[in-house]
Amino acid sequence: MGLRDIISADTKAILEDDSLGFGWTISLTDPDGTTSSFIGYSTDISQIIDPDTGTIVSGRLASVSIFIKSIIDAGLEIPYGISDSSKKPWVVDFNDINGNPYKFKVSQSNPDRAMGVVVLILESYATSN
Amino acid sequence: MPPLIDSLIDKQDGFEIIRDQIASILAIEIQNQMVLATAGGKDPLDWELRIFTERSNPFEQFRQGNDNKTPIINVWFDNSNFDQKKGNTVGRQNSESIFNIDCYGYGESTESGSGHNPGDKEASLEAQKALRLVRNILMASEYTYLALRGTVWQRWIQSIQTFQPPSEGRSVEHIVGARLALRVSFNEFSPQVTPQILDLLSVNINRAEDGQILVNADYDYT
Repeated sequence: MGLRDIISADTKAILEDDSLGFGWTISLTDPDGTTSSFIGYSTDISQIIDPDTGTIVSGRLASVSIFIKSIIDAGLEIPYGISDSSKKPWVVDFNDINGNPYKFKVSQSNPDRAMGVVVLILESYATSN
Repeated sequence: MPPLIDSLIDKQDGFEIIRDQIASILAIEIQNQMVLATAGGKDPLDWELRIFTERSNPFEQFRQGNDNKTPIINVWFDNSNFDQKKGNTVGRQNSESIFNIDCYGYGESTESGSGHNPGDKEASLEAQKALRLVRNILMASEYTYLALRGTVWQRWIQSIQTFQPPSEGRSVEHIVGARLALRVSFNEFSPQVTPQILDLLSVNINRAEDGQILVNADYDYT
């Protein structure tokens, strides 16, 4: 096993460790409505650092990180942002630390195919249910 | 050196009066537009705006926990320039001031039939709708002088600018801003020396039958 394979395996172990690590249950729904559940990292924060000025600015930012192979193994493709309003978007659901559910649309997909991780940038999404 | 101004400066300057007047006009007319929309069988909420003055962070109202997503207007004073040719050094100076009227629209992606309504577009359309209402109200002929005739000489839209949201580091909420810069020309006044009566002088002016002007002055002097 090469060093890169070791890194990838470590990444999977770290991302999907929800017993001792920061892993968190994340639900992913593709445009066809197929839903699968994963363990990954999720963030939903309201203060971020402006990279230009280094100052703290207000602005809610949410993202999830999921191991790509887990997505593929679940029969899904790597999620991506869908701008076309005639199509359903990729939808991400996860709870906050207090158990409150939140639903998001994938607005941007940043796959790292070297390590096998995809970071999904999210925006709020409202549905009728 | 003792103070020379003997009166309390307890008034609003012209720029403050006009800033508040702009906000008042918008609030009154938006209210009326909603009434007119209702009378016309349309949804009045499509005409609703929330008006603020001098708020640096009004879009915080859009943040989670607040279900009111009505577009927000913030009227704030930007700057003034004084033309030396229009005024005098003692009491009155003509001011060309810029008032920024910032319009904020909120959008959220929503499920819609077999597709979805993108939140980024929704936010832009909301901001532009607010901008449209603001421009039409302030440039209506009824408000040529912002209902302050005698104070306001002219009002004119200097520019309209929309702000493209950043493509990187996208926020969960879509908020788009548009700025209408309104240039207003008006007078500013400053405290004046309080006059003191030195002598009472009365003058009668008469015209004689032959047209000659006769002046009869009556005053005491020592």
